Parts: sequence; C-alpha cells; structure tokens
Amino acid sequence: MLIPHPLLGPRDAEEFTYMGDASLIARPSASDPGAEQAFSDYVYLRDNPAGVHRELWFHEAGDRSWIVVTRNTLTHEILDAQLARDVALASAAEAGE
Amino acid sequence: MPDISLKSMTALGSDDALSETFGAITISERPEVAIASLAARSDAPDPISVFGLSLPGPGEMVSGDGITIVWSAPRQWMILGEGRGEQDFASDVKAAAQDCSITEQTDGFVCIDLVSNSGAQPLQDLLMRLVNLDPARLAPGCATRTLLEHMSVFLIRYSERRVAILSMRSSAQSLWHALSTAAGFAAHRAEVRA
Repeated sequence: MLIPHPLLGPRDAEEFTYMGDASLIARPSASDPGAEQAFSDYVYLRDNPAGVHRELWFHEAGDRSWIVVTRNTLTHEILDAQLARDVALASAAEAGE
Repeated sequence: MPDISLKSMTALGSDDALSETFGAITISERPEVAIASLAARSDAPDPISVFGLSLPGPGEMVSGDGITIVWSAPRQWMILGEGRGEQDFASDVKAAAQDCSITEQTDGFVCIDLVSNSGAQPLQDLLMRLVNLDPARLAPGCATRTLLEHMSVFLIRYSERRVAILSMRSSAQSLWHALSTAAGFAAHRAEVRA
C-alpha cells in the first residue's frame, strides 16, 4: 500500500505506523463537566466501519509527521491524506468561531 | 597529570575509513563529515538560511562550500560539514543560527558514500535494490529519510554519480553489510551480462 504523504508524495506503507482512529485528535477537556464520561467514551468507544474510515498514520521511518488518512477499509483505496497538525488547527479554528 | 592520548575510531571500528569497490560502485565510510540537526523554535519565525545556504524544502537538499543541508521534518534540517568530524561543529552551527535549537549528531550517525565511476546507471540499479522509493524522487538535489533493510536512513543525492547515506552509528556494520552485499551482487550481475 502506498500512502500519499502531503509533503513527500507517495511512500510505502512500511515507513508508517498505524496510530488509531483519527477521532483521537479530539481529546476531551478534563475541566469540562461530564469529563469522566467523555474520557470513558474517548478511550473505549470506537466506530468500526466497513467502508470509509479516517485514521492516524505516523511516518516513523520518514519525517515523523502524523497524517490523517481517509481510507476505504473494504477496498484499501485512499481518498485523502492531510497533515494531522493542519486538521487539528482547522478544527480548533472552527470551534473558536 | 598522566599523559593520556586518545585516538578516535571510525563507526566501523577501524583507525582509517573503510572503502571498497564492487564493479562500478565504490562504497566509502566518511568519518570526516560532521553532523548537527537544526530545529526552528515554535515561538520563532521560520529560519531562512544558514552559512549562506537557503534552507531546502521537503525532500530536498542544498550543498555548497563544504556544507550540506537536508530537510528532515517540518521546520527541521540536518546540517553536514565536510572535513569537520573532529571539531565542535554543533557550536559553529549554533553561532550561525542562534534562534534555532541545534543538536550534535556526529556521534549518532555514520555517513557512507556510494559513488559510481561509470555514469548514473550503476547507482540507479543499486538504489533500486536497496530502497523502496520511486527513482524519480531520488534525482540529484533530492534527500529523504526512508528504510533500508529495516534501518532508518537518510539518502542524500549529491549528483547523478554520488549518493550519501546517513544511518544509526550503532548499526554501521549492518549498513555496510547491506550495501556491500547489494553492490557485490549488482557487480556480479553486470559482469555476467557483459
């Protein structure tokens, strides 16, 4: 499988480590009310879709970027790849509006 | 004070740099190359240049006046100094880039050169055996980090005929074994074909 790195172009999946569901970026705040339940959900609950899935990949043997890859788990087709930093900053900006 | 004189050893454990030729390819250890890493601070603007060389973008390298700069990660670069392996190179880099974080890397890496004495093709053939990268992305001026026999390496393509490989110093012998085995095999193939 080739992962289209946003900065370095297509790279072999061997260079990457799978780091879980991309929803892990949205870590709940410990100071919010209901934080206990929110953390319980954050740690234990995952969707397991047969189809399009957003996941985190770490370019361990490359530039050490974290990447959000949108992948179809049925066909292994990769639909999108963005730097996780850009995704996190964009969602923080959206939340701030 | 007792008179203690220490003599440095190369990464491959010898007094002198090892060099071996297989057909068109010569593999040489480069202990005289000094290495330091440069990282931009989060609260500082992006650095533009060091030692008069513009910092390269993703997947690229620049070289001049005995200095080579390789992009290693977003806002991070590796800086190589020819002939400065036994000097405090990191201090020189720090003096040239005071707003950045500099880390000494000479003691952590081994530098090995692959040079072809007969054009680009023997080097291209060897790289295809060694790393899983599109050859077009290893053109002169490209530099990238990837895996070579499960070892993390930087590949720095100086020219059509020369590529430098940086890898973990502690596995220098394994890297040498991987390179010399592949180069020996490629040379044997070329001989059989000819």
